[in-house]
Amino acid sequence: MKTLEELDSLREKLQADMKIREKNNNITVNVSMGTCGIAAGARETMKVLIEEISKQNLKDITLTQTGCTGSCQHEPLVEIKKGADKVTYIKVDRKKAREIVRRHLMEGKVVKEWTILD
Amino acid sequence: MEELSCHILDLARNSLEAGATGLEITITENPEENLLEFQVRDNGRGIDEKDIPRLMDPFFTTKQCKKVGLGIPLLLHAIKTCGGTLKIKPLPEKGTEVTACFPYHHLDRAPLGDLPGTLSVLLTAENYVDLLYRHKYKQDTFIFDTKELRSQLGEVPLKNPVVLTWLQNYLNNELNNLRGGKTIENVGRTGQFTGKTSGRHENPRKK
Repeated sequence: MKTLEELDSLREKLQADMKIREKNNNITVNVSMGTCGIAAGARETMKVLIEEISKQNLKDITLTQTGCTGSCQHEPLVEIKKGADKVTYIKVDRKKAREIVRRHLMEGKVVKEWTILD
Repeated sequence: MEELSCHILDLARNSLEAGATGLEITITENPEENLLEFQVRDNGRGIDEKDIPRLMDPFFTTKQCKKVGLGIPLLLHAIKTCGGTLKIKPLPEKGTEVTACFPYHHLDRAPLGDLPGTLSVLLTAENYVDLLYRHKYKQDTFIFDTKELRSQLGEVPLKNPVVLTWLQNYLNNELNNLRGGKTIENVGRTGQFTGKTSGRHENPRKK
């Protein structure tokens, strides 16, 4: 989909989606986007997250970004929050990002070996 | 950083962290005059004139929580390796303007890279920001304005992943059209060129 006309039909579809769904288990996916993160490839990580979340048609997921969080050696960092639960994934490249969408966001399983304890 | 578009994302992040609500990114490609320029203007809290020379120092930052600020020094490195220039100035009203100029044909100039990626990723930020993007290539200009897009989207948020995916494709398409069917030069993380920009390869890469 590439043209502005196509955006119109997309909007109608998304508006209809917004009406049906309930906002009760909203998940926030946060990518650190400081200089360190960007240099380590955070933009590619975020791009994959955008693509996969939209491809899998996952609802109630909010993407967001922050600056440097002080763990520059672990960048790119992806933090997933659901209510009070927070999981931080480290060194998330494209491949890991895809897996995180599949395993964490879709199947609800934390991929422990890629996380650091907060 | 391997691509200039990563530096642009970094500068725009600086703007957001300085509380900007308006952002203007302008790219000027003029191969005939051997010029590639990008400019990031914002309406953030601005910069103290006396701090400008200190920005080049990696151990200078205005942030309380950390000791280093590498964004500008890294950009400066990319500029110096090919003999470009950098200008940072506070705007009279409010905000900052950063302009980087590069010799278009210099071998050591970093590729422009994935601008649609930079823009779509930038729009996932928490801040509500009006982004105006202008891309000039030779005589032609492409303009993208989030204000227009938001009014077209109505209640659907711009940062919805489905919308951002559309945006990514839309920008890719428009920028390729602007550049006469040539993909934007970019470089993979392995260091290999993936875009084709020289006259020797006229066929744009099909996606």
